[in-house]
Amino acid sequence: MPGLPDEFSAAFLARLEDLRIRTRRQFPGMGKGAHLSPKRGSSLEFSDYRHYSLGDDFRYIDWGMYGRTDKFYIKLFKEEEDLLTYIFLDASASMAYPANDRKFENAILIALALGYVALSSGDRVMLRVLGGSGHRPAPSFLYGRNRIIELNERLKAVKPGGQIDLAQTLARELVAIRRAGKCFVISDFLMMPNSVMRGLGLFTAATMDVTAVQVLGAGELSGQGLSGDVEVVDAESGEHLRVSMGAREREQYRQTLLRLSREIKAFCLKRGMHYAMFTTDLNFQDFFVRAATDLGLAH
Amino acid sequence: MGLLNPGALVLLAVVPALVLAYLARERPSRTTVSSTLAFRALHSVRRERFGGRPRFDWTFFLEMLVLILAVLALAGPYVLKHEHPIAVVLDNSAAMQARTTSGEVRFDKARGELSTMLANEQPDSAVAFYLTSPSPHRIDATKQFSLSGARAAVREAKSTDAPDDPGAIANLLTDLSSSGHYAKVIFAGATALAPPVPPGINAITVGEPIDNFAIGSFTLRRESFGARALHARLTVANFSTKPRTVEVTISGDGKQLGTAKSDLAPGQTGVVEFHSLAPAKVYTARLSPSDGFPLDNVAYATSGSIRSVSILFVSPKPADAQGLASIPGVSVTTVAPDSYSPENLAKADLAIFEYAVPKEMPSVNSLLVMPPPGDPVFDFQATPVSAAQITTWRKTDALAYAVNFRLLNVRAGEAFGVHPWMEPVVDGRRGALVLRGERQGHRFIATGFNLFPYLGRKNLPMSVLTLNILGYLSGVGANSGGYRTGQPWFVPAGIRTVVLPSGKSIETKPGTLFDRVGSQGVYKLLGSGGSTTFRAVNFSDLAASDFAATPPIKIQSPAAASATRTITAKAPLSHYLFFAILALLMLEGLVIYRRRRRVVEV
Repeated sequence: MPGLPDEFSAAFLARLEDLRIRTRRQFPGMGKGAHLSPKRGSSLEFSDYRHYSLGDDFRYIDWGMYGRTDKFYIKLFKEEEDLLTYIFLDASASMAYPANDRKFENAILIALALGYVALSSGDRVMLRVLGGSGHRPAPSFLYGRNRIIELNERLKAVKPGGQIDLAQTLARELVAIRRAGKCFVISDFLMMPNSVMRGLGLFTAATMDVTAVQVLGAGELSGQGLSGDVEVVDAESGEHLRVSMGAREREQYRQTLLRLSREIKAFCLKRGMHYAMFTTDLNFQDFFVRAATDLGLAH
Repeated sequence: MGLLNPGALVLLAVVPALVLAYLARERPSRTTVSSTLAFRALHSVRRERFGGRPRFDWTFFLEMLVLILAVLALAGPYVLKHEHPIAVVLDNSAAMQARTTSGEVRFDKARGELSTMLANEQPDSAVAFYLTSPSPHRIDATKQFSLSGARAAVREAKSTDAPDDPGAIANLLTDLSSSGHYAKVIFAGATALAPPVPPGINAITVGEPIDNFAIGSFTLRRESFGARALHARLTVANFSTKPRTVEVTISGDGKQLGTAKSDLAPGQTGVVEFHSLAPAKVYTARLSPSDGFPLDNVAYATSGSIRSVSILFVSPKPADAQGLASIPGVSVTTVAPDSYSPENLAKADLAIFEYAVPKEMPSVNSLLVMPPPGDPVFDFQATPVSAAQITTWRKTDALAYAVNFRLLNVRAGEAFGVHPWMEPVVDGRRGALVLRGERQGHRFIATGFNLFPYLGRKNLPMSVLTLNILGYLSGVGANSGGYRTGQPWFVPAGIRTVVLPSGKSIETKPGTLFDRVGSQGVYKLLGSGGSTTFRAVNFSDLAASDFAATPPIKIQSPAAASATRTITAKAPLSHYLFFAILALLMLEGLVIYRRRRRVVEV
């Protein structure tokens, strides 16, 4: 499709249109949509009864109840509104390394795909960038399928850089967005687990429905390219460590990364969040379809 | 400031080795990663490899500093320090217990004058404090007293009952004055220093001649072997300027037993004897008139030293020993020759081998009666004789004393040939009948005829000869009061505790040297089985009691010594440097440990 990355072929977009965002709770929206809202409205979803009062539409009088109780009751229905979808993209310096793994580019694709799912479902999407350099996108909701091009432009303007503390950054974002909704947090989560947990935990405490998407490079996960005596430099903190990497050390390193991922996943599932991990050696399109459930999407 | 060992500075040449070591350290490739989080868990230690530019981080400069400090410490830096050390020698021998003509005790007077002299010394003086008795020794050898501490030590010093050793004191003063370690040496004692006194020595002499009467020795013994009666013998002396009659009162276990007098000219020594003393455990002799030195006016003796003689009788005919047991003060243990072992001698004072010879030289004085010929230990050349007629004997020998050999009826026996180390005392026609000799510090007698059974008055010549032999072997007449103050003695077998005259108990071990003998009196020796023996320790030194004839102490000292010197000492600084090195190494270790610990924790 013109204006979108090559991965977004017509067939892939068609598959994305079959998906919609599934939430574990109901959020008030900003307009009519396909998601049940805690507001009372005119959907087919029964909500409650109340006594009939003058002026009520008598089409909603429950005649069965009248027959049993000889009193008028009005049937109330839930409202169906759009969903406010927030996509938090980690654009800290760590997302740019290892360069060969193209982690940040893949994170943008995921954000774009999630955004397309939301827009095509009639939901509103706001892109929030954590850290990064370059042009920061405007904090406004996008609405309508055709706005995917604009979302792509906003994403393309983001460049990775800087250092973030996820807990503090998400806390600031939480104050800024004010309205609850669906949140996608796309990051490599390569930071102290307690920082990740505190940050994500803030969102669940604020009644947000959160999906954590961890993006790791395939070479990053395997320690590829690291052998012998290596001085590794942290892309964000600048910390220097000198290590001797052999097969045993690489395996130990890989197991440590996987353990950190498992800890975050366990935390997410325990707190009612969705969790999905994408490694750059996977086919992006296949991943998005296969991991739809983990991403909090439904057909 | 200088260096004790400047040659060690050559070791500074190893400093480039440290630089080389840093050059040799690895220079790894640098890679930027998304996060070092997972790398912190790696326990592998980076390997070293040669090459690359040296990384002179702070550890390099710290190690360089440590290395330089170590070389400097080995070079032995020092600073010159001016000191005023003083050596104080205080005579605490028995002579210091004497009173001066003014009635003051010499020791108290010496301590007072010494404290006064110390109070006038420089305030920063360090004092080494010595006492002279029982032998010259330093108080707290590792410590230098301050002036106040030295004065306190002088106040707490105690005199002993042991005599002084002028030679040892002279050696000590000579060593102290010539060592160059002390600016001043102060000697406070009863004995004057012979002129010329080296200028570095300040003497405080508190001794002055006083009239003194003394007991020199106090011995107890039996009159002869086997006699019950005890005989006491004391030497007394008059060290005054006038003839005096001295009286000695002797008491046993607190009960007065007798008195004796002796007229003594000035400087004369006499003897006082007491016969047939009643049995007692402890005898005490007191001399009058009293004088300014009461220590030598009393002496002690114990009957335990006149103990019974224990005889081990080794014979195939044990009945022969029955008569011996009738001798007073003799106990006999019989053993068959086949059952004999050298361990049997442990509790015996002497041994008798009848018709038998031990397989090794006995460890006690021994009598061999008709030993079988050809034994490898004594190698007797014995010839059996049917009638061992005595022909000659040594008339002045103690063994032949009061023996009427003409009436000695000796029948069958054996005659000895020439013996390599025993000499004949009694001879017969065919050879020697009695041999006597000493080997390995023990006395041995061999008889070619049988002395036993001991029949007492029924065979008087043979009995007298037997008693002479046993008396010779058991050492009758030994001095029973032979322990002197200040002279250590070995703890006897079986003794675990020694109670001093002051009543204080000292735990000890048998065979060890007991040196807590600074007090005159009776020491109680407690055995492990509850047995108690007494041991008398006396001053008994007439030379030390003669205050009028005390020779001055002569000190050999270099003529160049000055009256008051300032000692320049080299105060080494190496230990400070080693402490600094240790602190720096601990600092480096702590920092590296904390850094690695932070890396390992994820």
